[in-house]
Amino acid sequence: MSYDAIIIGAGANGLVTAHSLARAGKRVLVVEREEKPDPALDIGWVPSQVVRELNLDRQGLRVSRPDPWIAAPLAGGGTLELWCDMARSVEAIRRISPADASRWPDFCARIHTLATILERLYVVPPPDIESRNPRELARIAGLGLYARRLGKQAIIDLARVLPMSIAELLDDWFESDALKGVLGALGVWHLKQGPRSGGTAFNFLHHHVGSPLGVFRPPLSNITAVLLSMPGVEIRRGQKAMTVHGRDGRLRGVVLGPSGDTIDAPLVVSSADPRATFEHLKQDLDPEFVRAIDNIKCRGVVATGTLEWQGPTSFKQLCIAPSLEYLERAYDAAKYGRDSERPYVELRAEEGEGEGEGGGRIHVHVQYVPFTGGGSHDDRRRALKAAVVGVAAPHAPEVRTAAERLRLTLPDEPELTEGHLYHGELTLDQILFMRPVPGWSRYRTPINGLYLCGSGTHPGGAIPGAAGRNAAREIL
Amino acid sequence: MKQYDVIVIGGGHNGLVAAAYLALAGRSVLVLERRPRVGGAAVTEEIFPGFKFSMFSYVVSLLRPEIIRDLDLPRHGLHILPLESTVTPMENGDHLAAWADHDETRRELYRHSPRDAEAYDEYGRLMHFMAQAVKPILSMVPPDPTSFAPGDLAGLLKLGKHFRGLGAERLHALVKLMTMSSADFLDEWFETDVLKATKSASGIIGTFLGPRSPGTAYVLLHHYMGELDGVFRAWGFAKGGTGAVSEAIASAARSFGAEIRCDAPVARVIVKHGRVSGVALEHGDEVRADIVVSSLDPRRTFLQLLEAKDLPSDFVSDIKRFKFRGSSGKVNLALDALPTFTCMPDGGSAGSRLHRGAVSISPSLDYVERAYDDAKYGEFSRRPYMDIVFPSMIDPGMAPPGKHVMSIFVQYAPYNVNGGWTDAKREAFGDAVVNTVENFAPGFKSLILHRQVITPLDIERITGLSEGNIFAGELALHQLFFLRPAPGWAKFATPVRGFYQCGSGTHPGGGIMGASGRLGAMTVLKNGR
Repeated sequence: MSYDAIIIGAGANGLVTAHSLARAGKRVLVVEREEKPDPALDIGWVPSQVVRELNLDRQGLRVSRPDPWIAAPLAGGGTLELWCDMARSVEAIRRISPADASRWPDFCARIHTLATILERLYVVPPPDIESRNPRELARIAGLGLYARRLGKQAIIDLARVLPMSIAELLDDWFESDALKGVLGALGVWHLKQGPRSGGTAFNFLHHHVGSPLGVFRPPLSNITAVLLSMPGVEIRRGQKAMTVHGRDGRLRGVVLGPSGDTIDAPLVVSSADPRATFEHLKQDLDPEFVRAIDNIKCRGVVATGTLEWQGPTSFKQLCIAPSLEYLERAYDAAKYGRDSERPYVELRAEEGEGEGEGGGRIHVHVQYVPFTGGGSHDDRRRALKAAVVGVAAPHAPEVRTAAERLRLTLPDEPELTEGHLYHGELTLDQILFMRPVPGWSRYRTPINGLYLCGSGTHPGGAIPGAAGRNAAREIL
Repeated sequence: MKQYDVIVIGGGHNGLVAAAYLALAGRSVLVLERRPRVGGAAVTEEIFPGFKFSMFSYVVSLLRPEIIRDLDLPRHGLHILPLESTVTPMENGDHLAAWADHDETRRELYRHSPRDAEAYDEYGRLMHFMAQAVKPILSMVPPDPTSFAPGDLAGLLKLGKHFRGLGAERLHALVKLMTMSSADFLDEWFETDVLKATKSASGIIGTFLGPRSPGTAYVLLHHYMGELDGVFRAWGFAKGGTGAVSEAIASAARSFGAEIRCDAPVARVIVKHGRVSGVALEHGDEVRADIVVSSLDPRRTFLQLLEAKDLPSDFVSDIKRFKFRGSSGKVNLALDALPTFTCMPDGGSAGSRLHRGAVSISPSLDYVERAYDDAKYGEFSRRPYMDIVFPSMIDPGMAPPGKHVMSIFVQYAPYNVNGGWTDAKREAFGDAVVNTVENFAPGFKSLILHRQVITPLDIERITGLSEGNIFAGELALHQLFFLRPAPGWAKFATPVRGFYQCGSGTHPGGGIMGASGRLGAMTVLKNGR
């Protein structure tokens, strides 16, 4: 059996590339390491271009966002609830700080404008600033003009906000610790940095891209499940794929493990993380490129978990990050390789899909839990679980009553380089033309015929399908 | 009443540089300095009889060569003595040294890590190149990217061309330097922890950030831009202390006809119909001039010397938002004899090489990071990062025969310390400093004859630098170039006609560089009146 293209990894990005290539008439095989699909929902904005081009709406794509999108326990009792409806959020904030409430709409609008600039950049390949090609230069000028049209303030804000720390940004606007904690948490999402570190304001903006005005948590979708259900591509599960290339540096195909089958194809697209993709190819690559790949920072700091739960929950999305200082202290431990004693915990009630799984469950995000690369996990997991229960139980009766059902996955466990979900941290030195490595941001690699399409490439994590679509367009 | 062409407020090195350039161009110039002597934070004072100190700023390297040349500073007494080495004592009793002799440094590095010794040369070449690449920007008035004015567009185009001319690899390195943490940047090059620690220390100076926080790699580069006699990354002392730098510039300015008046604090700038007409001194006198240039930091320049009604409200809120957050202190000591550092076989004997250079207390990255952790939560570092020098070893005139002066730059000491700075807290801070040094140099404390402890609050009180920030405003990416001190007003002009700025709070800022003063003066001259 021969294929025109082999895609490594059946996540959202790999599948978007696969279906896009299939639609262009290619015979496509997707190889996936895991036997069973992960039933969890995808987190992040699905670009409308992806939805439209693959007709995902008609295939059953459901995008959801909890409303209120966040609830945060308040120090003096009660809860701060923020809603998709701006007026309702303002009302809620007014109860804790009238000053913050009056600034909320303006803050949301300013941030939203910046996010729309990023959005524009995210649905196309990154600008190639070294290019001498007039078309590319015209495209860059077009992006510049677009930003300029949004007004002088937008450009100033962008230059000023991107390198800032989220703490400085929020301190400029707000006084309420609870509000700043909820927003600050998004600034450090999946980042081994605290809210006082530079660049966290960018991380905050990144995760706001595609969200409505005043909503600062990415939406959820079933995009991977939908893509899996679509005809047109063949998927082989339970097989690890390794690329094979000839002496001339030209790609030959992949070899599968454990089956040992070799499959020839002129085109292989890997949605795996870049460091893992090139791990076995290093001796044949330019040492400078290898060094750049090795230097990709992808230090996992998040443990994820689930709590099986039947019936209604007391919250939709609960954030336990009562202040910026709380987040900063949680980060301190991770700097020295320890898990936070009082971690930032976010709980999300996931309703049952009604597909024989019975009840629903609660998804758990725990930060900071640094990748350590070894040691026994049992003691560590026990201590971490106690920490999670310690901070979450007072605010979530579900955790109190069903603590023994809490299952946590440490960043050391999934087969991801350093356990980083985004295949590379979203820091200013690892975005746009610097992602995955400088000079190779256009989804190509030094091996002819081998491409990348995962979240390790532009625009990065929490935007399922964006990198996959950009890569497919570059390939075609 | 005498009328001047230009009044310069503040006799720090930038104010003096501006005055000298303006006088050189034939303007009648008056410099008004609040303190009894010129220099601002670049002063030499005899704090204890016979012992002279560069009270605040203590090393010279960043002073722009064109300024030294244009103002002929050597003729006015500027003499730089090289500071050749850095020794970093380690917690295990070993040390890491960087010597003036390149081969010797390589051998020393090789002892710690052959790989790092290999990487060191390439790293040095890259940083040298990057500093060269950034240098033209230091002498350029930042174009405003939000403007469509032909001058701004031309400036942006020139910048774009300049950066593309660097080539892909170096452009990427520049992006990394502008955005990464110094620890991450150094991680890409080296494996020896103490090497990374001591190098990353130049990335935290004057910032309220730890070495693992993005933004510090830029400060690292900023400190690489020093150039003495064409030798890159060479640091030195001015003979007679840093005050001698200020005196030399002042002398040059006077020789061009500028008048410098000390003990003359300015209360406010007089604005009539949106245009400056002079200044009012604190004791009531008024001095007239069509042009007034302030070398004070942006907060003092705009919020203290002017009234809010003279300025657009957006601009006022931008200036209010400009961050200072002073984080450094200084401990100046008069010593009976040189201390013995145990990290080196000859670390004690008087006149050892260690004492001729800097001693960096930065034994590990975690050490420096922990020092920052204390400051984050409002305490001074219990075990701080320190940069120690013994100026009397190189310039014997700084102390009586046989005695020595020791200058300790200390970080972190937050301006907003919990409970506020009190005399007791200042002394506790001083104790933390000397106790930490004692760990590396047993018996050191018994050598101390006098001790002066300077907190950020003291820096603010004495020099006027807001919150004691040694750069007159943090050198953070969002406060640089066309954003320094505020978007739209980074070109030395201000919203008040005839009123200009030229302090370190403007582009490029920081260190005894003088570039802001020079660019400020150039702008005044270009604009005519």
